[in-house]
Amino acid sequence: MNRILLSALLACAAWSRLEAAGPVTLKELHEGQSDAATWLMYGKNYAGWRYSEQTQIHTNNVAGLQPRWIYQTGVNGKFETTPIVRDGLMFLTAPSNHAYALDLATGRPMWHYYKPVPAGVNLCCGQVNRGFAVLGDKLFKVNLEATLAAVDIKTGQPVWETSMEDPRKGYSATSAPLIVKDMVVTGMAGAEFGTRGFIDAYDAQSGKRRWRFHTVAGPGEPGVESWGGDSWKRGGGSTWVTGTYDAELNLIYWGTGNPGPDFDGSVRPGDNLYTCSLVALDADTGKMKWHFQFTPHDVHDWDATSDPVLLEMEHNGRKVKAVVMANRNGFYYALDRTNGKMLVAKAYTQASWADGIGADGRPNLIAGQDPTDTGNKSCPSIGGGHNWQATTYSPATRLYYFTSTDGCQLYFKTAQDYVDGLWYQASTTQGLAQEPTTGSVIAVKPASGEIAWKFPLVGAPTSGLLSTAGGLVFGGDREGYVFALDAATGKPLWRFQTGGVVIAPPITYLFRGKQYVAVSAGASMFTFALP
Amino acid sequence: MVPLVLAGSIRAQDKNPFHGNKDAIEAGRGMFRIYCSPCHGIGAEGGRGPDLTLGSYSVGNEDTAVFRVIASGAKGTEMPGFGERFDSDGVWRLVAYLRSVSGKPAPKLTGNRANGEKLYWEKSGCVACHRIGGRGSRMGPDLTLVGRQRSLAYLREALVDPDASLTPGYNKVTIVTKDGSKITGVQKGYDAFSAQVMDAQENYHSYFREEVRSMEREFKSMMPGYGKSLTPRELDDLLVYLTSLRGQGENR
Repeated sequence: MNRILLSALLACAAWSRLEAAGPVTLKELHEGQSDAATWLMYGKNYAGWRYSEQTQIHTNNVAGLQPRWIYQTGVNGKFETTPIVRDGLMFLTAPSNHAYALDLATGRPMWHYYKPVPAGVNLCCGQVNRGFAVLGDKLFKVNLEATLAAVDIKTGQPVWETSMEDPRKGYSATSAPLIVKDMVVTGMAGAEFGTRGFIDAYDAQSGKRRWRFHTVAGPGEPGVESWGGDSWKRGGGSTWVTGTYDAELNLIYWGTGNPGPDFDGSVRPGDNLYTCSLVALDADTGKMKWHFQFTPHDVHDWDATSDPVLLEMEHNGRKVKAVVMANRNGFYYALDRTNGKMLVAKAYTQASWADGIGADGRPNLIAGQDPTDTGNKSCPSIGGGHNWQATTYSPATRLYYFTSTDGCQLYFKTAQDYVDGLWYQASTTQGLAQEPTTGSVIAVKPASGEIAWKFPLVGAPTSGLLSTAGGLVFGGDREGYVFALDAATGKPLWRFQTGGVVIAPPITYLFRGKQYVAVSAGASMFTFALP
Repeated sequence: MVPLVLAGSIRAQDKNPFHGNKDAIEAGRGMFRIYCSPCHGIGAEGGRGPDLTLGSYSVGNEDTAVFRVIASGAKGTEMPGFGERFDSDGVWRLVAYLRSVSGKPAPKLTGNRANGEKLYWEKSGCVACHRIGGRGSRMGPDLTLVGRQRSLAYLREALVDPDASLTPGYNKVTIVTKDGSKITGVQKGYDAFSAQVMDAQENYHSYFREEVRSMEREFKSMMPGYGKSLTPRELDDLLVYLTSLRGQGENR
């Protein structure tokens, strides 16, 4: 058959399936875990598992995995996106306010969304974006200038766009939104610019704001006493990684970032609530039900922005609804997600700043670990421990997987005046020439925090992870490899050199009955399948 | 896209709008510590990158020249452009900060360049690993521009204690093959699955981990320290020669 005619027919087939599938329903989102064909939200399911029940690709055949198509965007920058996949199309966001719908058969683009980034947007870490959310006939994404945008799933045309805050004051947005009921819940970025963090919920139809939760307590709010003077005004606590949701408890779980300024804690005496915390919010009102602060009065930029993963586990002989997080401060935590009480805390990498975590959840601090003007060594490094990269939980192996940077850094402190919208970090960090940091992929037993295995990386990890019922954990690295590890042992079983840094987490889906693995690397989207 | 916009705006504006502005200098200092200090030192005193407190720059001393290098990088050196990270105001704030710390008198170095040159090419053995103007080996960093690229303090340290601050990409990698042969060279690539090295004969080697018995990287220089083998006078002579290497006329 004529190749052009064939691809036209294939494209039509994919398109018509989308038409046939109709709008994305809430039911579909809640059943996302059991549908191995799709990938409908940042963490695959509301519990943030990033686990697929698909078994076509497994430990015995993964070595034969081959690239199927590559889509080169030509956009500069770091690709951190988790794509949405449904019925023949892949929807991915790219740096600098670009986004695409790609045909799953060929990788050819169906539409391209682009909104130029206005001048004056300040970003700590590049013009990145971590993905879409989807509901009905709309996709939702944040744009860098601290807006939330809805676009038509068929055309990529804008439907509405709501400004969350003024980007000239240091506010920005990079994370994938989360659909909860008829709302789009989203975080913001900008704790390095003297902002005041929040988590927002918007009406998915109109884009009107329903509620806002400030992650930095202000006047009249409990916790404001944990900020000296008016330091809460510039308190940071950004919310730049997507949270999770327990429909039964009607609670949204979201991690919060570092207090500002990062390294000079003297201008913000106190615990600095609710930075470096996990907050549980009532989905209907945004009111906080409980909070757990991992790093009170943080001075090392140890955000608590890793995905809060919801799972059930045994604790002291009873089944507990838990939320687990490998925190950037070097400790793994499991909390009771009904009330925020700590169940387990255990170091998974070198943590020189605390000699364990007390039963009350507060760290047993070790003196002499704070930044100084001339530089003071502390561990882990500024990036962690585990940073933001997507984690995964496999109910098959009952292991929780995450990446870790292992090593220490020099932390510097400088007195710094706050200037509207400008860097407000009050110094920096430097690596130690003779003690370079390394990295690892770590598998932890959730109930004990015990490490089941570690797979060594040669430098700080960059990509997120995916686990599957095929007994595999997929990941990528700074040096350009996408790889598959045995989920039970950490043994490497497959690798492919993409030629670009892998920052995004891999996903998996079914297309025409065949399992695919997809991940961004460099400025391109790669898909893989068995021959 | 952003750097092009910057390149346009630099032509439109040839004066720093923030010159002497206290807030801008403070903001620039914060930015400097984050982005620039890893190479130029925490107070701009120099490190692997040049000392910026002297107020005299190899790229030109005008504000616009400094702006251009921060935005677009310095060709032929390790200095990258930051135009994608900062808008033009941000770059100007950095320039304002640099002006606020510059004006330190240049360190006096007494030594004999001709002696230093002779030492370099004959007695010291530098030429066995380094390259100047197309002559020498590729094992170590090319020194054709080293007088522009490195501060005096850094060069002195590099001669006496080469492990103190290793140039990225010059780690020592040792591979032992399954038949027991040992390959030592500088790192060209090193990752979780493979390593690529260049040995002293400038041969490239590439192995996957599963193909070899062991694969190790050391954050150590392959260069010997010269603190004992050269006299203090000879070290000064060599330093005068090295700091004179600025990319012009080194075509021997």
